[in-house]
Amino acid sequence: MVVVSFILVGVLLVIVQTTLCMPSPVWWLAPDFYYVLVGYLAYRLDLIRSLIILFPLGCTLDVLSGTVLGLHSILCFGGYFLLRFISAKLPVLESLYQIPLVATSFLAVSWCAHVIVSAFDKEVLLPWSWPLMMVRILLVGVFAFPLFRLFDMVRKLAQRNILPWNRLHLRVDNRRRRRSG
Amino acid sequence: MRKKLTRRKSDRYRLFRFVFLGGLLLTLTLIFLVSTLSSQRFGSLHKLVIETVGPVQKLFAAGGASISSFKNEYLDILQDVIKVREENKRLLKQLQETEGTLNRSREAMATNASLRRLLEFKNNLSRPTVGAAVIGKDPSTWFRSVIIDQGANRGIVKGNAVVNSEGVVGQIFTTSPNYAKVLLAIAPSSAIDVMLQKSRVRGMLKGNGTLTYRLEYILKTVDVAEGEHVVTAGYGGVFPTGVPVGVVSRIVHKPRGMFHEIEVTPSVDYQTLEHLLTIEQQDVSELKQVEQP
Repeated sequence: MVVVSFILVGVLLVIVQTTLCMPSPVWWLAPDFYYVLVGYLAYRLDLIRSLIILFPLGCTLDVLSGTVLGLHSILCFGGYFLLRFISAKLPVLESLYQIPLVATSFLAVSWCAHVIVSAFDKEVLLPWSWPLMMVRILLVGVFAFPLFRLFDMVRKLAQRNILPWNRLHLRVDNRRRRRSG
Repeated sequence: MRKKLTRRKSDRYRLFRFVFLGGLLLTLTLIFLVSTLSSQRFGSLHKLVIETVGPVQKLFAAGGASISSFKNEYLDILQDVIKVREENKRLLKQLQETEGTLNRSREAMATNASLRRLLEFKNNLSRPTVGAAVIGKDPSTWFRSVIIDQGANRGIVKGNAVVNSEGVVGQIFTTSPNYAKVLLAIAPSSAIDVMLQKSRVRGMLKGNGTLTYRLEYILKTVDVAEGEHVVTAGYGGVFPTGVPVGVVSRIVHKPRGMFHEIEVTPSVDYQTLEHLLTIEQQDVSELKQVEQP
């Protein structure tokens, strides 16, 4: 249920990003909601479930954005593993670095991806723009906190049992009762 | 004994006085009534009565008028205020509805005007076209593309030209049965064969990612002026010849190199892309003509 919920939330965020947040094709203030989800998954969810969520997320992004298929998937997976690795290694309190690290890792992963793709074909991507990327990082940082809260809420709701499986569970005899025989 | 006698005398006197006065009053009343009814004259007594009662009546009448005016001024105003509030609510609701209708009709008029221009443009084209609306835009900082709501089911294939009433927008990059991705002409990976309308010199139009194009491969020997119109050359059968692309906005003169560095301002307003036309490629339409008997 958590996996399905987060896949839906991720796809919805991408749709919002490509429609409501983009009044024109050259608009540059569109927040990268999807990367906040990547950060959340890296911090809060286990590896298997995160990977299952990241596959459709990256695929949706590749379909709706850009002309190099797989680039957004690389960004998602790269960002996920980078954040997971760093958060496992850092000794300081998690809440102190969570949001800044999401934003910083976005910059690092984006820069790496840009360098790699530009090395193969220079004219596929727009030139790297530091001011623009700084704005995008700032937007990721700004939206990280409210989105983390939203994701927490989604996870709580998803973890509730809609079907009362526990009530259907066949109860065995009381294990504390003394055996008579 | 004496006291008893005195009390009896007094009682008799009182009785006599009562009977006398009652009889007198009754007699006088009878005389008054008989005389009044018989003569029908507004006598002195009547005048006295009216003069006595008149001021009181006047006072009451004035009081009544004041009460009435108070009621009119204050109590009725309160009622009016309640009525006005209800009326205000009703009018406000009516205004909102009217504004909504006005906005809708304004939007419909703008859409109508845009579609009319697109239809005129379509009628001028010789090749089959498919109308489409932009439903999504690329949010990344590295690409320039949009998603449209028509796809392969309507005959759209990769490479089809995409235009609007103002000119060239881009080319179809990928398609699915009902949707397609358009690579905008301002994308860095876009390249379109164009020519300068006046000199008929051909060049290659490339995107910058910004709201300008870069016109390449125009020899320095060619005389180019700012403000000159750039149109599609029609090579390769993707774009029809003569579709507006933009206007030369800047020419950089460099001592080295064989070619001009020319900046072109698009004829299309990329910030307001809504309705587009995809133009079928020439070879595909020709093939269809061949197939038809």
